[in-house]
Amino acid sequence: MLAFRSEEHVKRWCESKGLDRGALLTPEQQWYLADAWYRERLAPDWRRWTPAEAEAIFAGLGLVGDFWRLRKPGRKPG
Amino acid sequence: MTEPDQAVRVHIYERFVEDGRPPTVAETAAALGLDETEAASAYRRLDEAHVIVLAPGTTDIWMAAPLSAAPTPFRVETERGWFYGNCIWDGLGTISMLGLSGRVDTACPDCREPLVFTVRDRELEPVDAVVHYAVPAARWWDDIGFS
Repeated sequence: MLAFRSEEHVKRWCESKGLDRGALLTPEQQWYLADAWYRERLAPDWRRWTPAEAEAIFAGLGLVGDFWRLRKPGRKPG
Repeated sequence: MTEPDQAVRVHIYERFVEDGRPPTVAETAAALGLDETEAASAYRRLDEAHVIVLAPGTTDIWMAAPLSAAPTPFRVETERGWFYGNCIWDGLGTISMLGLSGRVDTACPDCREPLVFTVRDRELEPVDAVVHYAVPAARWWDDIGFS
């Protein structure tokens, strides 16, 4: 997770590394994600987020879709 | 996570924050009254559970997210001292974990221009930047160093 000056810089860097472009966050989205994720990390009863909890945090910031999915897709009935 | 492993985890974070580096197995064993084999096993279990990351082939702590034991391009100043974060997410997470305010100094990987993320009273000050996630969430732990 790297910070760039702009989307154009991301595009150029990805091309130079032979990488596909991934997901882009605004600085505000990144701050709120970091705050939600780490605020309680020093608490004596801290535990890892479950995949469902993590996905809910992502979704609360508008981060949805396959890129942000942690749970395997459920089997469809029938 | 079992209660003894949670105690080891809490100790690791407390020492990392206070000393600016993570404790060794021997230091944790001495502090918690464990023998070193027990402490090393706890470190390995925490690594396997993705709570900490050990340097490959060792029981040396590489990451106790959001903190990095190795220098990174994400230097973080907080109310409780300065640290290295593993990425911009962890740099900002370090500020959140340790107080209300701080700053992350990094640079654009493309042009090397400095970028500063400043948080004051849990609010991010405006910064002209974007954050790029190269790897989908489900694959972050395939290679956490790269992610």
